[in-house]
Amino acid sequence: MSNISENNLETITNQEHSSRRDFFKRTAAYSVSAIAAANLLAPVKLSADDENIIHHVEWGTTLGDELNKHPYGIPSAYEHNVVRRTSSLLSSAGDMHAAVSMTPLHELEGIITPNGLHFTRTHNGVAHVDPNKFRLMIHGLVERPIVLTLDQLKKYPAESRILFMECPANGAAEWKGPQFNSLQFVKGMMSNAEWTGVRLKTILDEIGLKPTAKWMLAEGSDGSEMSRTVPVEKVLDDAMIVWAQNGEAIRPEQGYPVRLMLPGWEANLCVKWLKRLEFGAEPWYCKEETSKYTALMPSGKAIQHYYPLEVNSIITTPCPEKPWTDLKKGDLVEVEGIAWSGHGTITGVDISFDGGDNYVEAKLKGLVLPKSWTRFSYMYKYEGKPLLIQSRAMDDAGFVQPSVTQEKSIMGLEGVYHRNSICTWEVRQDGSVHNVQVRTDNCPK
Amino acid sequence: MMKFNNKLIAIAASALLATTMFAAEAKTKPLPANIYKATKNALDGGVTYKRENGAYTAYKVNDQSTKGVNFGRAPTANELKAWDADIMPDGTGLPVGSGTADDGEVLYDKDCAVCHGEFGAGGKGYPTLTGGSLESLKFQRDCPGKEAPNRTIGSYWPQASTLIWYIRDAMPYAHPKSYSPDQMYAMTAYLLRESGVQIDGADIEELNQDNFKKIVMPNRNGFYPNIDGPKGVENVRAFYKNPKNFGAVGTRCMTNCGKEPVMKIGNEITAVVPAYSTVKDLPKVEAKGAVSEAQKLYEKSCAVCHKTDAMGAPAVGDKGAWATVLEKGMDKVNHNSINGVGGMPPKGGAMDLSDAQVKDIVKYMVESSK
Repeated sequence: MSNISENNLETITNQEHSSRRDFFKRTAAYSVSAIAAANLLAPVKLSADDENIIHHVEWGTTLGDELNKHPYGIPSAYEHNVVRRTSSLLSSAGDMHAAVSMTPLHELEGIITPNGLHFTRTHNGVAHVDPNKFRLMIHGLVERPIVLTLDQLKKYPAESRILFMECPANGAAEWKGPQFNSLQFVKGMMSNAEWTGVRLKTILDEIGLKPTAKWMLAEGSDGSEMSRTVPVEKVLDDAMIVWAQNGEAIRPEQGYPVRLMLPGWEANLCVKWLKRLEFGAEPWYCKEETSKYTALMPSGKAIQHYYPLEVNSIITTPCPEKPWTDLKKGDLVEVEGIAWSGHGTITGVDISFDGGDNYVEAKLKGLVLPKSWTRFSYMYKYEGKPLLIQSRAMDDAGFVQPSVTQEKSIMGLEGVYHRNSICTWEVRQDGSVHNVQVRTDNCPK
Repeated sequence: MMKFNNKLIAIAASALLATTMFAAEAKTKPLPANIYKATKNALDGGVTYKRENGAYTAYKVNDQSTKGVNFGRAPTANELKAWDADIMPDGTGLPVGSGTADDGEVLYDKDCAVCHGEFGAGGKGYPTLTGGSLESLKFQRDCPGKEAPNRTIGSYWPQASTLIWYIRDAMPYAHPKSYSPDQMYAMTAYLLRESGVQIDGADIEELNQDNFKKIVMPNRNGFYPNIDGPKGVENVRAFYKNPKNFGAVGTRCMTNCGKEPVMKIGNEITAVVPAYSTVKDLPKVEAKGAVSEAQKLYEKSCAVCHKTDAMGAPAVGDKGAWATVLEKGMDKVNHNSINGVGGMPPKGGAMDLSDAQVKDIVKYMVESSK
C-alpha cells in the first residue's frame, strides 16, 4: 500500500489544533524537547594536564584489528547513532513496508550522502531484485523496441552526476506549524549522491523515438509496480538510467539494480527497481500521479504533474541536534547549511538572524553543481542572545525561496507536497536550538 | 504665498520622517549572477544547460559520437503481451472479464478490510478508500477547529482505470498480482459502488471491459494543468511559465523586510525510531541468537499486522495482549490462526504457509511476548 505516510502527514497535522489535553502537552513541549530529553552529545571538556595527553591511550598500546576483519568496511562503532530514523506517524500504522526513513542531515559533511544513510521511501517494501533476472524493456512509440539484460545496459556509455534526491513530501508535516524538533525530521526526506548510468537520450538516439511520442511511462518491478508518467522533453534533456550510487551498485533501498533519474524532479518520479519504459502519445494516470503526488489547492482543484523541487535551503549548524550550548559570548562560529534547487543551480544564499527582518549574504563553498546540494557558510560572532536564524536560497532560474506566509498565501495548507518555504531555528539564551516558524496567520482569537 | 508653501514642505518632511521611523523602507537586492550559462526554457519553469565544447556545466563530457552503440534485442510478441499490460483512461489494456460488486464485497472483507477498514472507511492507519466529498476538497485547516479535506477514490481520483490497474498490480498488499480479471472487476465494482460512483445514473452492480469505459469519476475535472490531448505538454509548459501558479513568489528583500509572529511547536512528535541521540559511545551489546525460520516467516507474512497493535491485532511483545489471547488455550489459538478470527483472514492471508508453519510462527510470537 502506498503513500500512507502522506496520508498520515495529513492526519498528524490535525493534532496541533485541538483540545485541553493538547494545551497541557503544549506546555510540556515548551520546557523539554525530545532531543534535549534524549541524548545530546555532551561536549568533551579539556582538563588541565589532560589525561588523554599525559597518558598513553588504549588503542596506542595494543594491536589493532586485522585489516581484513570487515571485507566491506563499516563506520566506527562510536558512530552507531548516525542512522536513518523513522516515525510510525510517517507510515501506515507503524508498518515499515510503506513508510519513509529520514537521512541524519545533522551528521553529514560536504555534499555526499553515504549510501547507508540515503533516505528511503517504499510503497510495498524494499524489493530484492536478482540481477541475473533483471530485464529492461523500452518500447511503445519507438522505431526499434528493445529488451536488455543488466550487463547489456551497462555497456552503454556512462556518465556521472552529483544530484539531490528529495521526496516531494519533505517537510509536509509542517504546513500548519512546526511539529518535529529535529533537523532529521524537518528536512531528512532527501539525500545527495553521485549517480552513474546512461543518458536516456543516448539509447533513444539509437532506437529512434517516433515524433508522436510525448510521454514516457516508467514502471518498477516491485510489489507496488510503482509507475509514473514523464514528459519526453525531460527525458531528452537530462534523464538517466542509473545503476551506481557513490561508486558502487545502487542499494536495494534505492532501487537495485537500476532506477530512473530525473535530475531535480520529485524522487517519486525516479522510479526504482525499473523494469519498463513505454513511450506514448497520452499520459497514463498512474496511482502516484493522481491519488497522491498531486497538490490540493485552496480552490479545491489540485496541481497534477508537479515535477520540480523548487529552490530550498536549511541551516545544518546550528540545529536542534547540534545546538550552541557549548558556546560562550564572543566566540566566532560558522553557520553552515545546504541549499538546492530542482530548477537549476544555486547562485546564492542569504541568512537572517532576526527571523527574516534583515538578511546578510552567506558564501557558497565547495562544488556548486546543477540540481545538487550546495553548501553555504557564514562566520558569526555569537553574542549569547536569543536568535531566529533563517536561510533563503536563490537559483539561476531566478527563483527566491519564499517565506512561510508567502508560500501559504498561494498554496494554502492542504497540498502536502513541495513545501519549500524558509525554515527558522530559534536559538534560545542557553544556546539550545528549536524548530519554529515565522508566519502570519489570521485566525479569530 | 511663500509662507504657505514652506508650511506644506514642513508637513511633508515630517510625514516622511514618521514613515522612516515607524515602518522603515524595505530594501531589496538584485539576484546574484549565474554560475553557468543557462537558458530559462525548461518545461518545468527552470533552466537547461548546453553540452558544448566537451562540457556540461562543471562536468567534462565525452563528445565523441555514440551512434552505433547497440545492445539488447527486440522483445518478442509474448514478452510484450506479458509486460505491456498497463491500463489507460481510454480503456487500453483492460482485461477481458467481469465481476459483481457483491462478489467484490466478499473478496474485500477477506483481503482488504483488515487494512482499509469495513466498507473502505479506513480507521486502521492505511488509506481510507470511501466517503469524502468534492465539497471537502476546498477545506483548509488554516485555523483551529477546521475540518480536513477528504481525498478518497470517489472524491478525488480522476480516472477509474487507475483503480483497477493498481488493484491488478499492487493489491492485495501482501500478495500483489494474485487476482484474476474477474476478481479485479469485482473489487473495482465494489469500491466504486461504495464510493457512490455511478454509470449512466445507476449504481454499479457489475463491471466488465465494456461498461468500464463508461465510468466518469466525480472529480474528473479536479486537476490542472490539463495534460490530455495534443496540447497536453504545452499546457504543462504554460502552467510553469507563471511562478504564481506554484507559489514561487519569494523576493530578495535584505533590510527592514518586516517582523512576523513566531509559532512554536504545539505538540511535538517524539515517536521516532531509534530514539534521538547524538552521543558518541559504543553500542550496547545485545545477545542475539540466530534468526529462526519461524521468525523469518513471521517477518514476511505476519509482521505487517502484528508488529504493532494499530490494526487491532495483538502486537508481538505485548505481554498483556498475548496473555489475554492465551486464555483461550494454545489449541484454540493455533486453530484461529489457521482458520481466521475477527478481522484476520485464514493464515493471515498467507495461504502459501502450511499449518505446521503457522503453528511454528504462533509459537515464535507467543514466546516473543512473554
